[in-house]
Amino acid sequence: MNRGYMGKVLIVDLSKGEFREETIPDEVYEKYLSGIGLAAYLLYDRIPREADPLGPENILGFVSGLLTGTGSLFSGRWMVAGKSPLTGTWGDANCGGSFSPAIKRCGYDGIFFTGMSETPVYLYIGDRKPQLRDASHLWGKDAIETEEMLQDQHGPGARIAVIGPAGERLSLISGICNDKGRIAARSGLGAVMGSKRLKALVLDGKKRIVPYDRKTVHKLSRTCNKWVQFQPPLGPSIGTALIGALLRILPTAMAMDGMVYKMILRQWGTGGMNQMSPEWGDSPVKNWKGSSVDWPLKKSKSADPDLVKKSEYVKYHCYSCPLGCGGKCSMTGKYSETHKPEYESVLALGGLCMNEDTDSLFYLNELLNRAGMDTISAGATVAWAMECFEQGILTLDDTDGLDLGWGNASAMVALIHKMIDREGIGDILADGSRAAAEKIGRGSEKYTVHAGGQEPAMHDGRQDPGFAVHYSVEPTPGRHTIGAQLYYEMFQLWKRVRGLPKKLPFQIYHKNSKYRATENHALETAACSKYMNVVNGAGLCMFGTFLGIKRTPTFDWLNAATGWNKTPEEYMEIGMRIQTLKQAFNIRHGIDPRANRLSDRALGIPPQPQGANKGRTVPIEKMMADYWSQFGWDPSTGAPTGETLARLGLSGE
Amino acid sequence: MSYTIIETCTGCGACVRICPARAITGKKKDVHKIDGDLCIECGACGRVCPSAAVKDQFGHVCVMVKRSQWKRPAFAGDLCMSCSMCIDACPVHCLDLSEAKGPKDLHGYPYLKEEKACIGCGFCEAECPVGAVTMVVPVQQETPKKTKPAAKTASRAAS
Repeated sequence: MNRGYMGKVLIVDLSKGEFREETIPDEVYEKYLSGIGLAAYLLYDRIPREADPLGPENILGFVSGLLTGTGSLFSGRWMVAGKSPLTGTWGDANCGGSFSPAIKRCGYDGIFFTGMSETPVYLYIGDRKPQLRDASHLWGKDAIETEEMLQDQHGPGARIAVIGPAGERLSLISGICNDKGRIAARSGLGAVMGSKRLKALVLDGKKRIVPYDRKTVHKLSRTCNKWVQFQPPLGPSIGTALIGALLRILPTAMAMDGMVYKMILRQWGTGGMNQMSPEWGDSPVKNWKGSSVDWPLKKSKSADPDLVKKSEYVKYHCYSCPLGCGGKCSMTGKYSETHKPEYESVLALGGLCMNEDTDSLFYLNELLNRAGMDTISAGATVAWAMECFEQGILTLDDTDGLDLGWGNASAMVALIHKMIDREGIGDILADGSRAAAEKIGRGSEKYTVHAGGQEPAMHDGRQDPGFAVHYSVEPTPGRHTIGAQLYYEMFQLWKRVRGLPKKLPFQIYHKNSKYRATENHALETAACSKYMNVVNGAGLCMFGTFLGIKRTPTFDWLNAATGWNKTPEEYMEIGMRIQTLKQAFNIRHGIDPRANRLSDRALGIPPQPQGANKGRTVPIEKMMADYWSQFGWDPSTGAPTGETLARLGLSGE
Repeated sequence: MSYTIIETCTGCGACVRICPARAITGKKKDVHKIDGDLCIECGACGRVCPSAAVKDQFGHVCVMVKRSQWKRPAFAGDLCMSCSMCIDACPVHCLDLSEAKGPKDLHGYPYLKEEKACIGCGFCEAECPVGAVTMVVPVQQETPKKTKPAAKTASRAAS
């Protein structure tokens, strides 16, 4: 029976050079879906307690989504999972491009690596048996160079995921790259791949991906596509910045409809928020210390969406995406082109470091993509170093003569080169801000902003407390792609799932209400987590799901692709099961969920004296406890209770 | 289910050369065999077989078609959403995304880059959710000067 998934995974033992295919029973897909759920199911009891994330016992899994290749839209996301060396918790990262269907076309829903190779190798899967091939000639090459060499060798059909020099040098903020500029950056899993001396995966399978009912899947896709294609002219980008300013001034907020964000994505990509976001306090400034006052329009215009768009010469779509928020940009200097800098990269390397130099943003974007290093964590670590420099904790002697004054673009470029090469101070900074502060000491710890070691993204919990909660409670701490009050408004889950609070589009409410730890807010955050686990099991893109559950029919697509007849509530329970399993993974590995709480500064402790988020504090303790209660976890410790584990059919052992 | 080869096979090897999944094996002049696990049911073997020795997944014997008469994808630009599903579906990688259409439309659109490589499997048509790909037999153009040499090379390639 064709159900959209391939029903098999490949286990590669890098120490022995052996391959093993494992058949996954249908019940597993029904309980965990594919994608991140399948990874959690397989890794939970196979990664031993106390396993060193950079040792041979850690398992690195590359998984595709259940809906990938079935004819549904937005289903081109692949995920990588393992124990994170950055946080010590469950780690996963998500990426687009064309790699996700390639995993399934090799006949697998996931490829898992155990052990450790003695010499650099890469995995090649073509028509015949998988092979590990020598990669010593590729070791040391940057991600794009490596991809080009492998592409030349294996032809245009090969789909390639690689690590860059940052991953090879075990930088804890490194990721895994594909399609010459997309990167699964978070959780530091590039270092895990580097520790296994696995340089790349080259997939060139030709298997067909067959859903249960392709006609229905296509029909649902056509309706969804109509919403995506609806695009009125938006005018110049200054309009978005002014709306941001207006949102800051008004005492009220308005529930957002995802169509608005979709239009911004279609026009400018994620960068459409470059100026709007700092204006209304969504983006942190100056290592989370500054505010919209420190980063006014005059400064943020260095990343004006229209300015970025000027250099864009072609749109970039991930596999099966009708929206195309990405793009390729031409640039001058050492590199001639780069993938359009995303919002996160621009703000982390821009506003967070007070950097107004547009050219340096483009250059650093390409440089970090090639190195395979996370732009968010790299920017946040540099911002932290700049504050330490300002405070006199780091001096010119420590920085090898680099003047790390706020916004010094040339020093930033030099410092990031050092981080990639692990030279001088760069060696300390290459593992992120928490690890660097531990090494440097001298009171530098209090300037770090992290959740469990992971630098949070450029969305400020003091503006939307939902972000602060998810940064603190997720089994992958510091994650911005799971939920927020804003996301809940856009998902519109109440339209399909019973018992969830309604937040009608464009409904106006007082801003103060966002900061109250109410039961509704707990329900909302829990719903976001459950839903995003379903989305990541299906391999869908979060931006697609922002259109709302009725316009992007995740549950209906899943039913049509698999032939199941599950209700939205049943899917939400699957999401809950995956989330609980990931949390149980953390408990098993000795993580105290309370320790992953976001740093005080990012929670408004003490509150900011000026700017968009003036006087705001997030009642985080109560919100975290409420969230844990919603999942049936112990509200005082965050550990899943035996009762909950039993109800979800998890052993907890 | 997969395609199969029956005893009328003369072992000419035409199917081995065209199979994109390299699923067919056999000695020259011997009856060949299709590996069911590797077969992707593209039907190319059936279309090239001169001795009507290939059965499709339903058990029907395939009929040989002149390569110039094989269906090829035609793209409807107004329906296409540049999602690249068709490009990914192609087992011989003969499709590619074009450059941006123009300054007002920065999207690239799929086109048949390697016409000779196309095996007419129709996977691109089957996987497109919005019906922007249709498989059609290439139409002979009206100006005879241009089409004649092209038609000749095409038929030569087929034979």
